[in-house]
Amino acid sequence: MMLAVFATLSLALLAGYCGPRWLAVWSMLVCLALSIGLFLFEIYNPEYGFRMPWLQVQLDALPQVWPHGARS
Amino acid sequence: MNITPGARLPATLNDLFLFAMMLTMAAVLTTAMVFQYHGGEIPCPLCLLQRVAMFGVCFGAILHFRHGYSARHDGVSMLSALLLLIISARQTLLDIYPRPGHSYIGSAVLGLHMPVWSIVIAVAILLAFAIKLAVLGGEGLRDRQPSPALGRPARWLSLYVVATCLINLGSVIVQCGVDACHTTEYRLLSGS
Repeated sequence: MMLAVFATLSLALLAGYCGPRWLAVWSMLVCLALSIGLFLFEIYNPEYGFRMPWLQVQLDALPQVWPHGARS
Repeated sequence: MNITPGARLPATLNDLFLFAMMLTMAAVLTTAMVFQYHGGEIPCPLCLLQRVAMFGVCFGAILHFRHGYSARHDGVSMLSALLLLIISARQTLLDIYPRPGHSYIGSAVLGLHMPVWSIVIAVAILLAFAIKLAVLGGEGLRDRQPSPALGRPARWLSLYVVATCLINLGSVIVQCGVDACHTTEYRLLSGS
């Protein structure tokens, strides 16, 4: 996947330097799309650990609420 | 295309801005490659994606110096800068909490590691583009060719950026092959 990202990036830069502009722009857009896809793959892949398990945004269980004036 | 005297200063400032931005990106990418090839620091997947975003920032400037000004070129550069900001912020959040195998990757430069520098760079690029568009505008610059004084060095700098990207492509092939880049060595050189 990283190879595809850099291949399309190289094609975009080469076309931007000495090729047709439509090819450069389309290659760059494909490269950005592949980069976003690879980034999402990296951060959500459970095998490689690029997630952030210490940041929990979902409660495991509802906190126990004590009635007003009660002692825990 | 003829240019009115009133639009000459904004056009020159726009050329200077894009040239300086591309020069800065080229210097940052060269420094990263020196750390990689001379210092032996293998880049992680998110580090490589940050390089892609930095090349994307240069892409808009390369198109400008070849085809003339267009707001679309600035847009591609700003999109790439936004991608750089998102990736580097995510990596900094990932590394800021120490745990085994997920410490900061690579050496610190002036006390900051690479993903933190990437945040600074991305914010600076977006801020600079915002100020440039607010101050210079873009209406009078449309399809204007870059000034001849900057055109020649800009072409050489563009060629340098393209060559740097091709070196990185070769490096990715040697490091990762066609698989994911979760390596601590150059996969093709290690024989595994």
